[in-house]
Formats: sequence, C-alpha cells, structure tokens
Amino acid sequence: MEIKLKDLTKVFPGDKKKGRKDTIAVDDLDVDIKDGELIGLLGPSGCGKSTTLYMVAGLLEPTSGEIWFGDEEVTHLAPEKRGIGLVFQNYALYPHMTVYKNISFPLTNLRVEENIKDEKCVKYAKIIELLKDTKTIVKVIVGSNIDGKVNKSSAVNALCEKYHIASGVSLEIFKLGLAQAENPEELAKVKTTEYQTKLDEEIKKVERKGKKLDKEYYVLSKDQNSDVFKKTLKRRKLSKDEIDAFVREAARIVQISDYLDRKPNELSGGQQQRVAIARALVKKPKVLLLDEPLSNLDARLRIQTREEIRRIQQATHITTIFVTHDQEEAMSICDDIVVMKTGAEMQKDKPQDVYKDPKNLFVAKFLGTPPINVFEGEIKKNAIYVGEDKILTSDKKLKDGPVYVGIRPEGFLVTTDKKATAGEITLDVKEVLTMGRDLMLVCANKNFLGERIKLIVDSDVNAKVGKTEFKLRGNKVFIFDKKTEERIYF
Amino acid sequence: MESKNNWKAWLYLAPVLILMAIFTFYPLINTFVISFLKDFDYRSGANSGFTFDNYGLVLGLVEKVPGIPESKITEFVQYALPNTFIITFITVPISILLSLFIAIGINSVKWCKKFLQTIFFMPYVTNIIAVGMVFAVIFGDYGIFNNLFGITGTKWVTESASWGNSMIVLCAYIIWCALPYKILIFSSGLQNIDKQYYDAAKIDGSPKWKTTLKITIPLLSPQILYIMITSFIGAFKEYNAVIGLFNRNYTASGNVHDLTTVVYYIYSQLEGNNPHMQIAAAGAVILFAIIMVFTVIQMRVSKKRVHY
Amino acid sequence: MKPAIISTKLNLIIPGKENNVKNTEKRDKFWRIFGMVIMYILLAIAAIIVLLPFYYMIIASFMSEAELKLGNTFWPTQGNFFENIVYNYSETLSRFDYFRYVGNTLLVGVCTTVGQVFITVISAFAFAKLKFKGRDALFMIFLATMMIPGEMMVITNFTTMSNLGMISINSNAWQSYGAMILPFLTSVFYIYLLRENFKQVPNELYLAAKVDGKSDWNYLWKVMVPLSMPTLITIFILGLIGSWNAYVWPKLVVSNQKYWLVSVALRGQALQLEERPDTYVTQTSWVMASTVLVTLPLLILFIIFRKYIMRGVGRAGIKG
Repeated sequence: MEIKLKDLTKVFPGDKKKGRKDTIAVDDLDVDIKDGELIGLLGPSGCGKSTTLYMVAGLLEPTSGEIWFGDEEVTHLAPEKRGIGLVFQNYALYPHMTVYKNISFPLTNLRVEENIKDEKCVKYAKIIELLKDTKTIVKVIVGSNIDGKVNKSSAVNALCEKYHIASGVSLEIFKLGLAQAENPEELAKVKTTEYQTKLDEEIKKVERKGKKLDKEYYVLSKDQNSDVFKKTLKRRKLSKDEIDAFVREAARIVQISDYLDRKPNELSGGQQQRVAIARALVKKPKVLLLDEPLSNLDARLRIQTREEIRRIQQATHITTIFVTHDQEEAMSICDDIVVMKTGAEMQKDKPQDVYKDPKNLFVAKFLGTPPINVFEGEIKKNAIYVGEDKILTSDKKLKDGPVYVGIRPEGFLVTTDKKATAGEITLDVKEVLTMGRDLMLVCANKNFLGERIKLIVDSDVNAKVGKTEFKLRGNKVFIFDKKTEERIYF
Repeated sequence: MESKNNWKAWLYLAPVLILMAIFTFYPLINTFVISFLKDFDYRSGANSGFTFDNYGLVLGLVEKVPGIPESKITEFVQYALPNTFIITFITVPISILLSLFIAIGINSVKWCKKFLQTIFFMPYVTNIIAVGMVFAVIFGDYGIFNNLFGITGTKWVTESASWGNSMIVLCAYIIWCALPYKILIFSSGLQNIDKQYYDAAKIDGSPKWKTTLKITIPLLSPQILYIMITSFIGAFKEYNAVIGLFNRNYTASGNVHDLTTVVYYIYSQLEGNNPHMQIAAAGAVILFAIIMVFTVIQMRVSKKRVHY
Repeated sequence: MKPAIISTKLNLIIPGKENNVKNTEKRDKFWRIFGMVIMYILLAIAAIIVLLPFYYMIIASFMSEAELKLGNTFWPTQGNFFENIVYNYSETLSRFDYFRYVGNTLLVGVCTTVGQVFITVISAFAFAKLKFKGRDALFMIFLATMMIPGEMMVITNFTTMSNLGMISINSNAWQSYGAMILPFLTSVFYIYLLRENFKQVPNELYLAAKVDGKSDWNYLWKVMVPLSMPTLITIFILGLIGSWNAYVWPKLVVSNQKYWLVSVALRGQALQLEERPDTYVTQTSWVMASTVLVTLPLLILFIIFRKYIMRGVGRAGIKG
C-alpha cells in the first residue's frame, strides 16, 4: 500500500487567556512512501514525528493537508476503517485479557467475504480425501497420546495443525476410531464408501433446490434475469477455528507461541512488545505503524528486537512507518529515513545518503556518533578557511562569506598519512582515549562551536597530546550557509 | 532509633485505642454476649442466665409467653427480613446499572463534565430524612406525581396506601439516594483508565459499544466489586429512608408492621421505657451474620472476574 | 455454516467501510453526532429527575397550603408570591426552633470534628511514620472494624451512656452534647485517608527534622499537617455533613428537646395549624419550608467546597 502525505499540517491551538501561542506540531509535511517500504521518522523530542504517525493512524485530525492510502484519500476516515496496525510505545495491551485474547481481539471485529461453499460437501470430500492416507492419520493420533493413552482434545488439536482443518472435522475423523481399530485400512475403506454416499446425497439435495455445485463445491445459483449460474458472495464473522489459525500464525511470526495463555503483566517488556506487534499484524493490515517501540527496552533487547521487526517486515512486505529518536536504530533497519525538526522535513533519503550527504546542518548534527564537529569558517576566493587554516579548495564558484564547517569525527587524518586529499587543520589535542578498536582524540580549537572536538582515528595511529596538524578527508567535510544552515556544495 | 519510637507511638495511639475500646471493641463483644442473656436489665446488668431464646424470639421459633402459641412474634421473619431482602435485591442492581450508565455517559461527552458530576452528586450531601419528606409530598395523595401522570387517587405513601405501592416508592427513593456515591466512584475509576486502551481498541476496529462492554467495564471491575459489596451492606441496613418517607413502619392494611426493615426492627426494640436490649442484640448479630455471608459469597464469586 | 477447511488467506473485510471513502466518512460522522445528541438528552433527563425533589422542595415552601392541596405543579400561581413566602417561613420558624437546633448541630458538629481531626492526625501519624511492633496488624484490625455494621455497637453504647447517666429526660447540656459527641470521635476511615496522605510525604523530610533535633510532635504539627491541609479540610467538612445529617444516635440518646439536632427536630416537630377549633392539621407547606431550612445550608456548603468533598469521598473508590 502506497502512502502519500500531502502538505500535512497540525496546529494545536493556544490559549489566548493564558498567553500560550498556537503550537505548530507538523508543518506542511510532504512525503511519498512506496509499497512495502520500511521508513523511519527520525528526530528529537517534539519534532512532530509521533504527531505525524497518529495522523496517519487517524487518532488525530490534521489541521490541513491530505493523507492518501493508495488511491483513497483517508484524511478524515475513522481509524478503525483504515486497515492499519499500530504498536504503541507503551504497548497498550489489554491487561485483563490473556495474550491469546489480546491478539484475537481485532479479528472479532472483522468480517470475511467469500463465495459460499456447501460446507457439508466440503467436509465429506475432505474426509474422503484424508481417509486415503490412513497410516498418517493413525500416526498423528497416536503421536498425540498423553501418558500413552489416547486423548481426544490433543488428538483433535494435532489433526487440526497437520491438515489445516476445523476442529469439527477433526473430531469427526477422531470419532471414526481409526487409531483403535484392528485393521485401520479396512475400516477406512468402509467409511470412505459411507461418506461417498453422504456426499452424493448432499449434492442431490442442492440440485433439488435449483442450485448447482462446481468442482470445489462453490454454490452456484441462477440469476433471475439470466441463465448463467454464478457464485454468490457472502459476508460472515470468522469462526473460532479461523481466529485460532490467524492468532497462532501471528504468534509464530513473533515467536510468542508459548505464552498465549499468560496475561500481559506476567510477561517481560520484550515479550509484551512482541505481543503488541502480533496484535497489530494479525489482521493483515496494509500499513503497520510503530511508535518508538524500542524505547522501553534495554540496550541488548533493543538490538535484538529491531532485527526482529526488520525480519518480520521483510517477510510480510507490509508498508511500515517507524518512529524513533535513536538514529542508530533508524539507520540500521530502515529503507528510507525522514529526518524531522519542529514539524518540518529536513531530509528524506536512504540511511547511507542521509549520513554521507546531509542537506542541512541539523541533519548533519543529528546523525553520527560521536556527532559531527562544527567550526566557524569562511569562504574566501573559492577556498574554505577555518581561522587561519585553509581546509579545502572548491571546484565550483562560491560566494565569499561566513559559513559553518562540519567535519565528521572519522574525517581527520594524522599528517603522515598519505591518503590525505584535502587541506589541513591544526587542533590542540587534549586527551587521547583508547576505545578498543579506535582512538578518540579530544581536542580544542578556537573556532570550534561547542565544548570539545572529538575525532576517531585508527588505534594504530601514533597520536600524542599537543598541537597537531591533521589532514582531512574531503568527503567528510560539509559546508553550510551561516544563515539558512543549508548545505553548500562544492 | 527504631526501638525508641516504640513506646512513644503508643502514646500517640492512646486516645484512639481508649475510645475504640470503649465504643467499638467492648460493644462488639458485649452485644454478642447480651444476645445470649435471658431477662437482661440494661441498667443493672442483671440477667437470668444463658439462653438461645432471644434468637428464637426474633426468628419466631419460640413463644414469647410460654404456653401461648399465638404469642410467637413473627414480625422479623415475616416482614422485616423479606422487606429488607426485597429492598436490597431490587435497589442494588438497579442503582448499580443506572449509575454505571450515567458515569459512562458523563465520561463520554465532551462538555459540561464537571457540571454534570456536580449535579448528580447533590443528593449525597442532603439529609436523607428531609428529602424523604419531600418525596412523601411528591407522592402524596395530592402530590404532583399523581397530577403529572393523571392518576389521581392512587395512594402511594399515606397510611392507606397498599404495601406494594409503598414499597415501590421506597425503592425508588433509595435508588435516588444511592446514585450519587456510585456515580462518583465509577467516574473517578473511569478517569483512571489509560486513554491508550481506547485508542488501541479503535485501531482494533472495535465499535463503541463493544469497547465499553469488553474493555471499559472489565477495567472498572475493582470499583464495581467495591460498590457491589458496599451497596449491598448499605441497602441491607436501610433505615433513614423509611423514617423520612413514612415515619412509621406499617401501612394501614393490617395491624402488622409490614413496612419494617431489619434495622428498623432492631431500633424499635430500643424504644420506650423498657427496651428489649437482648432482642435487639440478637437482631444485630443476625444482621451482622447475613452481611458477612453475602460479602464472602460476593468476594468468592468475583475472584475470577475482577482484574487489578 | 462454519467452514471445514481453515485457511489464513481469507479476504478480511472491515465492516462498515464502503468502497467510497467519502460516504463512509459521512455516515460515521452522522452516527457520531447522533449518538452524542442522544446521550446528552438522556443525561439531561436523568439530571432533571435527580434535581426535581430539590426544586419541588423550594417551590412547595413558597405555596399556600390550599394551593398545595390542588397539586399545582411547578410554580405557585395563587396568591401573592412574596406574601406566601413570608407567611410560610415566619410561621414555620415560630414553631420550629430552627436556630436553636442549628446551634446544637453546629456545636456538636464542630466539637466532634475538631476532636476527630486531632485524634485522626496523631493516630495517622503513628501508623504512617512511627515504627512499632504490631503496627500493621493493629491497622488491619482497625480496617476490619469498618466492615461491622454500626448496629452492633449502638446497643451497648446506649447502655454505656445510660449507665454514665448521660441519657435521661432531664439531662443537662454537658450530658446531652457529650452523649452525641463521644462515641464518634474516632473514625477509622479518616485515619485511613490521612495515613495514605502522610505516607506520601517523603521520608527524607522526617529524617532531616530528626537530624535537626526536632521532636516528632513538632514535626507532626509544623510539617505534616500543613502539607496535608487539603485532606484535613475534607475530613472537617465531611465530618460536619455527617453531624448535620445524623439522626439515629442523637434521637436515641437525647430526649430533651432543648438539645435536639436538626434531623431529629425535623421529624419530631409537629408543624400544625389549628384549622378548625381543636383540629390540628399538619401544614405541608410549612413542612417543606422546614426541610428547605435544613437542606439549604448543606447545599451551599457543598457548592463552595465541592472540590474537597468530592475528592475525599472519591478517594474511597481507589482503595480496593
């Protein structure tokens, strides 16, 4: 399902009496999401990402703008009619229901639309077909024995799982007594003939009513005006077995099958998370929305769960929107990232591009750990200066003037390194910290905007405290206009 | 530091303990004891020994004057107990359902919530007896109730009214008095339900009525249980409403006290110059026992359905 | 008919959603507004039923006796409006010693409540902050007493009071008031409420006071009490309301009309007019006037202190 957000705006009205101004939570957001994509809304607290998500869900009314699901405009459609699944930050699992009931709840509100079949015929035909495979049936029933004795409910469950039939049909097969018979094959043959007779009688019954059955036992009835026999469409609720099948399938996907009988307060945070995902997925929605789903989990579980989410999304191909303030999360699993700040979109690109090619200062600063180092600089005669140091020369023609210069931590090289491609910058190294794989150098420079400059260099590098000259990697240096903070390309 | 507090704490508790001992613990035991005494004189404390007769008298099993079967007092079993059960089993379910409906209604509308809550709470702060008298006038022989519905001549609360009519008005009044407290408790319980559950239910496609039935009410079950237990106890002890409405416990259709309740019965034993303490005590103990039994039943039954 | 074969590839449909989104939106909106309107109407009807007795009480006291008998419903139409009011109320007040009864009730109410507050404060403090053996067990016992119907205690308390000589037709002020106040100085419910409140005061404050060398008593009255003012106000007001509406116990122990409380007087006082020689008939309009006089003060108190009252009573619902 494609999602299109057109000029989406949300303004929370202020309070004239208390002197509070209107808050513009989302400002003219325009985003296109392709079918099957996992996109992340990334930004600091209060940037409007959750607000946007809730507008897509239908829980908040936009002040202006449009939301399109495919070719339907759903801007004002009630949330229950949009066909979405939502995973809340606090899971919002119904505390008084078991996990099973939580997951099955959405299904109780949906209907099935299908062509009518004559279920009796279907049942008889299925039994006839299954009876050909007597040996396996007996094996399944015996395999489900508890303490060596035949147990009706476990046998019925086992047959349901194996053949994807309803419990009523399983029960009937079980009652044939194949497992207890001395000669199951003989018994099966007798029963087959019985059922065949029943089947033929049933077909005759239908034909007497003036209808026909096709090969798959769909009921064909004649239209009043024509002579053509057609299938008829009917709507009905889901049967208990069908709900059971859907729930178990969803539980299998999120790997929560062993906990179906527990209540939410008996589960750990990670497990509750998975139940929430299962509940959102069970109704096969066209859109899946996740509101900071990992923020309540501990660090290790966070990594594990985000991989799960990626895996599930790949397997089901559901268009997914994922809200987070953690850039590492967004970078690792999303197909596309939308970086937001105070309600507006700052950049929408693939994760690598957002990192390697930031469009403005905010995006550059937001992504990357440790964050990008920003200096005061200026452009003079197509060259970029930070203080006295000439950092880069530009191929394009640039206007003179003050700029922000951003250099990624990994963009610094100790001078003896031959790979240096651009100019140099002198920094006063204050500390050298070992991080295992890398070294972090904490430095100072009078043109630096901020506390301390942090560089990452390879641990083999010989770095010492004191004034050091560093060469720079050109692709790690970005220039931003001082006033608009937009990227200046060179 | 911990043991130092030990004795001082008892000083702080001294007033409470002394007063509770005199006015709560001692009476509890004493009432229990009195109910088993024969010919108890409350002024002197004299009695003629242990007996079950008081209970027998109350339950109509024993003759008041030995040898005369007609002296069996059946007022309690014939009138007080049934009346009280009728009142309880009619008013408690109706008032709980009504107050639940009103509380959910108030919670679901956008404007005037506080205003509505205030209006519905007003009966709580008023004098049950005073308003009972007003009800008596409304349902009086010339009252506006008859006028409004054009059924002049129907007698509801005056002495010549039928027992049935009087009971109807009594139950209606008790429900009127019982609504505010329940509405308040349910309202505050409703406000404590996290709004996210409603959002989740919306996303899950649940229509409003289903959400109310399957989500709101189960989440309200602790309050519902509390209200069920307390209203049952309250209804069973009903007394002020009868005083307010009728100021007597009989209709004129017989010489018997056919409008009496259990508590009315107990207090009526204390009137006059020669109160029958021991009978009142027996009645009180029976009342206590019935309440306990039903409370335990309710708590047992609710174990499965109440979710915290 | 239930399907025989289970497939999870069914075509799931959202009920109520038509293919035309605009239609669905319009229909949803219609039902939403319709539902709201119905709800408001139902609530309004319920509210009117609840308020009706109050309205009628006031209106009836404005009507003349004759008009009442006609069963006129909502507004007095006969006679002079203001003359009627003045007549009814002056006659009622001359027979119903209102101010004396109010005075009694206020006296009893204030004394009881002040006593209650004092005892509740020190008891709650002991249960909340002080540590001593058997604290929790004792509190459990206290809570258990809340479940016992008052009728169990009334009988013996009556005996006790009588044996103390406080109940007699000629009792004096001390005896009458004392009989009404003493048994009710303790309230486990208020102790429970205040204890909850006290427990929420961070323990650090207590320890800091100890380090400063302040005694418990000092800490209690200078720190805990001011912090719990809202709850104490609630207790005070609820106590006053309780005294105002008390009927059973005051009636039982005070037979001297001089010391009656308002509720007792309401029911006990005959408000009759000698309509014909030697025939005394109860004047309903006067009875209504007396109920107004008894009910109105509380209503006014409620409107002013609404927040405290409702919050305090609602607190009970959070316990389980």
